[in-house]
Amino acid sequence: MEAVMNGARRAAHWGLWFGGALILLAAILIGIDIVMRKFFSASIGGADELAGYALALGTAWSLAAALLDRAHIRIDSLYVLFPRRLRFLLDVVGLVLFVAFFALIARHGWNVVAQSWSSGSRSQSALQTPTVVPQFIWFVGLAGFVAIGIVLLAHAVVLASRGEHAAVAKAISTRSAEEEVEDEIRDLRERNSREGIR
Amino acid sequence: MLLTALAILIGLLALAVPVSAGLGFLGVALAELYSKLPLTLAIGEISWATSNNFLLVAIPFFVLLGEVLLRSGIAGRMYNALVLWIPWMPGGLMHANIAACAMFAATSGSSVATAATIGTVAMEEIEKHGYSERLFLGTIAAGGTLGILIPPSINMIVYGVLTDTSIPKLYLAGIVPGLILAGLFSLTVLVFCLARPELGGKRTTASWDQRIRALPDLIPPIVIFLAVIGSIYAGWATATESAALGVIAALAIAAWNRRLSVRMLLHAFEGTMRTTAMIMAILIAAYFLNFVIASIGLTNQVNRFITELNLKSTQLLVAVIVFYLILGCFMETLSMMVATVPIIAPIMVKAGFDPIWFGVLIVILMETAMITPPVGINLYVVQGLRKRGRIDDVIIGAAPFVVTMLVMIVVLSIWPALALWLPQTAAN
Repeated sequence: MEAVMNGARRAAHWGLWFGGALILLAAILIGIDIVMRKFFSASIGGADELAGYALALGTAWSLAAALLDRAHIRIDSLYVLFPRRLRFLLDVVGLVLFVAFFALIARHGWNVVAQSWSSGSRSQSALQTPTVVPQFIWFVGLAGFVAIGIVLLAHAVVLASRGEHAAVAKAISTRSAEEEVEDEIRDLRERNSREGIR
Repeated sequence: MLLTALAILIGLLALAVPVSAGLGFLGVALAELYSKLPLTLAIGEISWATSNNFLLVAIPFFVLLGEVLLRSGIAGRMYNALVLWIPWMPGGLMHANIAACAMFAATSGSSVATAATIGTVAMEEIEKHGYSERLFLGTIAAGGTLGILIPPSINMIVYGVLTDTSIPKLYLAGIVPGLILAGLFSLTVLVFCLARPELGGKRTTASWDQRIRALPDLIPPIVIFLAVIGSIYAGWATATESAALGVIAALAIAAWNRRLSVRMLLHAFEGTMRTTAMIMAILIAAYFLNFVIASIGLTNQVNRFITELNLKSTQLLVAVIVFYLILGCFMETLSMMVATVPIIAPIMVKAGFDPIWFGVLIVILMETAMITPPVGINLYVVQGLRKRGRIDDVIIGAAPFVVTMLVMIVVLSIWPALALWLPQTAAN
């Protein structure tokens, strides 16, 4: 399980770099386009379209890393007041719903891809991009996210069954709650060491 | 229908379901309950269309711009230059904090980035000069919120996209209120330090020679502001394109400072895409929810409900402000905007309020939400930088500035021209 989880982490990390590189390329492309328009009265044509694809692909490929880093926002005003077992339950429910929502998007996103493929549709710009190409890469990112989400869920359940609560919190809890857990552990250690001295 | 929707939404969010999934499944539930058509089938098409919306590309650009600036060393130099110029007033460096935040806000589209960047360089000065820690921390948390009011602004982009309002006009409308609010923050510090001089720390002095020599350090932020905002009003670039220029300018400055490397870029990519994925996940779900809400006629129902209340426009405005102040204590700002603006903005426009002005008001309300506990992102950011003590210090230190923001809201409501004058003048 650890090995699978580490693989997922690495894949998610590459997704971030891929997305970031696409965004940087989009910025440079747009910069060139502006300079050409201003000084040479010419345009690359379609820089905006490509930048749009960069955002779509970058987002889909970065969702998983944001999930593993617990960057997706959860409102934890009440959550932090709950006992640990309930929090774990809510963590699992939240994770399942989040992954399920994007599984739903991926499921219907596949129809978008399939339709572009069968109709051979092209973008209405000078580029005439076959829309199936960016859409397919987008879909792969979404599918990869769902796969990594399921791995994370399995990982958390395995950890919980072993009673490793701190590790579970680190994997799927909200950030502030995890920090609390860390504090608790530190207190506990201090208390134990003090008792050891006595 | 309205009550069911609210109950589901509040239930899901209160149980700490990720905001994106909460909004998304609310959409699925409403589609199942109230529509004969299979509305959920549209989710693929809507997600794709939202994901490659060119207006939204500005979001990762601004996040990347911030990430590069954070690592390029310009914030530290800018702060040190401002320190030489400003601290003669009672309150000393705390005015430099606010000025640095306002200046950095002119290059940054995010309040978190502003508070984090200025906070990182300012924090070391507290003990060195014997300031009241609480008020000092408050200036950073509150000053940082200027990031979304002084253009560029990610929240204004989101408002513009959600309500079909011109983003360049929103940017212009934010400038004067942003400067006034920064001035009011400084005034707040001044009042506190005149009443209780021990809060103000030791005065620092600088010679004119030092001051003049530090001036070039103020150039990089001005260059980026000109690249981003100047290029829009010169007619060279659209709002999104100008953000791309900002990224390029930031990279050039980082290279000039010899901070540009592959390692640095990869770190910047990581921060950028993590934030972008988080924001886009919420936006995708919100677009789907908005589609469902409009399709099942919920928007009309809310509109009828508000109309039947027969409120005067002032009463409506007060109700909306109170609503956001309360909600702002518990919700993160982007989620709050995405969940409420598509419904509330049209009601306000129908009641005769200007959509640009209301956009500025919403942004100031979001700024307030960022420093009101228990959920106030800038409070967390400042406490995170500080790495010691309790967050209560930051909360108490920021509290006077919440009052300042309320004053600003009243001022802006009495004189809407403060926001609208600049965009109207530019249009002529």
